[in-house]
Amino acid sequence: MDALVVFIPLMPLLAALIIGLGNLFKLIDGEHREALTADVTTWTISLSMLLALTLLGADLLGNNDGYFIVGQWLTSDTLNIDLNFITSGINVRLAALFSILLLITCRFSINYMHRETGFHRFFFLLSLFASAMLLLVLSGNAAFTFVGWEIAGVCSYLLIGYAYDRPVATQHATRVFVTNRIGDAGFIAGIALTYSWINSLDWLDLNAAATEFSSGQVNGVALCFAVAAMAKSAQLPFTPWLARAMEGPTPSSAVFYGAVMVHAGVFLLILLQPIFAHAPLASAVLIVTGLLTACYSFVVGLTQTDVKSSLIFAASAQLGLMFLECGLGFWQLASWHLAAHAVVRGYQFLTAPSLMHHALHTPIKPINPYVAKLRWLYMASMQRFWLDPITDWALVKPIRGLAHDLSYFDDHIIDRMIGAPAPAIRAVSSLAQQEEQSLGARLDNDYDNFAQGTGLAGKFTEWFAALSHWFEQRFILRSDTKHGSGINRKLGRLANNIERIILRPRYLVLFVFITLLIAF
Amino acid sequence: MGILSILLWTPIIGVLLLTLTPGRHAALLRGIAHCFSTLTLLLSGWLLLHFDTHQAGLQFEEYVPLNPRLGSAYALGVDGLSLPMLGLATLLTSIAMLASLRITDHIKGYHVCMLILEFGMLGVFLAQDWALFYIFWEVTLIPLFFLIGRWGGKRRHAASLNFVLYTMGGSVFMLISLLAISQYDLEQAGSLMTSMHQVAKDMPRVEQVLVLLGFLIGFGVKMPIFPLHGWLPLAHVEAPSPVSILLSGILLKMGAYGLIRAVVMLPEAAAVLQPLLIFLALFGMVYGGLLAWRQNDLKAMVAYSSVSHMGVVLLGIAALNEAGLTGAVLQMTAHGLIAGALFLLVGLLYERTHTRNIQDYSSLLQAMPRFALVMTITLLAAMGLPGSVGFIAELHALIGGYEQWGSLMVLFSLSILISAAYALRTLNMLFTGPAKPSMQQLEDLRPPELLAAGILVAGIVFFGLMPTPLIELSQATLADMNRLIKLRIL
Repeated sequence: MDALVVFIPLMPLLAALIIGLGNLFKLIDGEHREALTADVTTWTISLSMLLALTLLGADLLGNNDGYFIVGQWLTSDTLNIDLNFITSGINVRLAALFSILLLITCRFSINYMHRETGFHRFFFLLSLFASAMLLLVLSGNAAFTFVGWEIAGVCSYLLIGYAYDRPVATQHATRVFVTNRIGDAGFIAGIALTYSWINSLDWLDLNAAATEFSSGQVNGVALCFAVAAMAKSAQLPFTPWLARAMEGPTPSSAVFYGAVMVHAGVFLLILLQPIFAHAPLASAVLIVTGLLTACYSFVVGLTQTDVKSSLIFAASAQLGLMFLECGLGFWQLASWHLAAHAVVRGYQFLTAPSLMHHALHTPIKPINPYVAKLRWLYMASMQRFWLDPITDWALVKPIRGLAHDLSYFDDHIIDRMIGAPAPAIRAVSSLAQQEEQSLGARLDNDYDNFAQGTGLAGKFTEWFAALSHWFEQRFILRSDTKHGSGINRKLGRLANNIERIILRPRYLVLFVFITLLIAF
Repeated sequence: MGILSILLWTPIIGVLLLTLTPGRHAALLRGIAHCFSTLTLLLSGWLLLHFDTHQAGLQFEEYVPLNPRLGSAYALGVDGLSLPMLGLATLLTSIAMLASLRITDHIKGYHVCMLILEFGMLGVFLAQDWALFYIFWEVTLIPLFFLIGRWGGKRRHAASLNFVLYTMGGSVFMLISLLAISQYDLEQAGSLMTSMHQVAKDMPRVEQVLVLLGFLIGFGVKMPIFPLHGWLPLAHVEAPSPVSILLSGILLKMGAYGLIRAVVMLPEAAAVLQPLLIFLALFGMVYGGLLAWRQNDLKAMVAYSSVSHMGVVLLGIAALNEAGLTGAVLQMTAHGLIAGALFLLVGLLYERTHTRNIQDYSSLLQAMPRFALVMTITLLAAMGLPGSVGFIAELHALIGGYEQWGSLMVLFSLSILISAAYALRTLNMLFTGPAKPSMQQLEDLRPPELLAAGILVAGIVFFGLMPTPLIELSQATLADMNRLIKLRIL
């Protein structure tokens, strides 16, 4: 039964491939192909769901080994990464739950997205996301969980920027993605620490090693993964990204931020339960952030006027509570809370578009009059506790300033030294000049720029080449230049003279006599 | 009569047939010459197929004593060092023949000289006796003197005289070194090369160093090593392009081949001279590269780039380890293919435009797309781009050099950088830029020319992507040589 697990993430990936390639080659395009795209997505996710349910059934009946290795993915010295899956416990249960929610959202989207320009793009991303999410929850090692984690993040980025012709949407998408990268840094640091301490990336090995770690080590690993979880599940100080993510189409909001992706952080905590159980410091961090996020989200949620925003702050408040539960050690409660919240919030998001229709005769309950009188709280809530301006001031502004300075340094010093070509706008000042240059005429100068270097390195090359050239001409090729051969010519003339003297008859006779004298 | 003798004497049979044919039958003369060069190529191909790559020693040996008193003999044999050179020599001769179709005056004399030249080159790589080696070494000079002096460019007489004088001068030192070794009592067993191996062991250290210096001058002129390269720019520029192909493709390799044999014979002396060798190698590489960068004559640029590339061979030899030797032998093959292709292409371009000044060219891409393709691949290979055989060779030499000297290899990288500079500039100036009307009517490569260039380029790319057969060919022999060297200097 364990082998089935391979196909669970593979099926939606297949759908993504079909839709993506079909769209690329213009085979799946336009309104008349919407049914095909929808069918492919629905069928593959349904198959995934059936497989996940089968696996869950087998797990509940105790037929699973709990672990399945497909093969080796990467070997390099001591680094050894398998493609393996966990086929028992919370992983399988969440896979089953998420696949059901994904299928429901998919079915909902078919009608909701009908005749949208990006219909095929949406379903491509939805399939890819489904695959990534299922890989994330089922993978047996940190590397492949991270793969799922990242692909899910990218899908989220692309769906927030779904209406990419609107600047606000792309701006929000970028902001969300960059915020999430902070969490990714934590994840990567966690992977690195794990590998350097236990030489393995398997979750089971890491959990087993929890008792062998020193308290510093266990807290270090736990904090790294906690940062990753906090970013993904929108805990303070990362919470503001969640509100920005509401830019995408409603079904994507439902599945990403209501039901599935936003729970990945909590899932990671539950997965690493033994580690956090041994890490009191990290648990304390979870308690504090969870509690603060819950309060923050509650207060901010009170002043929201549109349905998606109020829902999303409710979601982050619930997630904060889950973090709190994890920190306090109520793991069972946290996992039930996760599952229940996923179902409820997914439903609420999907019904949000028709909320006015449903809530026509049910008036909104007014809030507690005591709280309503706190004006400073109202102000803070309206401004969402100034978290975004603070981040801008503390992080974005200094980095932008640094980038500006570096860019100046690059343009004015490095580029000149390297000799990189200046932008064309500076090089050519008039149309006539440009015309001249494109003709290659160079009417203004007869300066020959062959074997001329630009920049520091270029100038050095030029000088050394000139030096070598001089050396070559002077010492190596000298014999065939007209002025260099003075000594040679003199020597040649001398030799000629000697020969002429020797060959005179009287000397010749003398030599013969001398030879004869010596011989006898 | 063994296969090696057949291979060696085939060009001479061709020469005999050519001399008996009257000079007015141009097509027949060409046909005979092509036929015999192809036959030699096929014979060397047979040899490559039947060569046992796992055996380090000589194979297909032939031994007939000539002068028992002196110990010289007609001894032929091939090993992993000479076989690649043999294949390269026969291949490039055939290609040079294909490139000679535009030569129309005195076809008979030209082809006779070419075949004698092939005979001499094959003899150098086949001879396993220093006396025989020396004879063949000198045999190559005579046809080259006539080929450059008769069919060359404007300053052909100066060039051919310069070339012969330089090489003869070097040969004198080589001869003195050979005599210095043979004054010791030689064992009568085996050929002169093997018995000299024995004698060289027992010579005093100083004498060994002097003998190696003699060899270094003798072979260094041909190779060429940095201060002895004065003949090369002139000879390459003035020689007709088929002769340039052979000159850079094979004749330079004869120097490197002889030097490897000499270094294996005298490793202690090589260890003493190692700093000098590495200095000459690195300096020559940078020096040749810089001068190549300065030349606006295409042929002179390729000639100086040869100086730079043969520095890699010297570097590999000077490293005195297996990676270095492998790099040297690979670079010999690589440079044979690349420089051969470059001279071929430059020659073909010259035939069409009668200018070698690179600044006269512009935007050839539209007129000559086939030419542009092969030229681009060849120039990229010349700068050692991964995927070309030049990269494989330079990488081995670099590893060998790094094992020996470490960070000094920065200069190696510098020379690669310089070679990238002139290769890319050449591409830029030949194929892009404003369209000149005079350059738009040029004829693209004809089928025989494309065949010749295509074979070389295919070799460059094939051995760049799958270097294993090439490396395996000489692996056993080089491992054995490395063992011999390490046995005596450690």
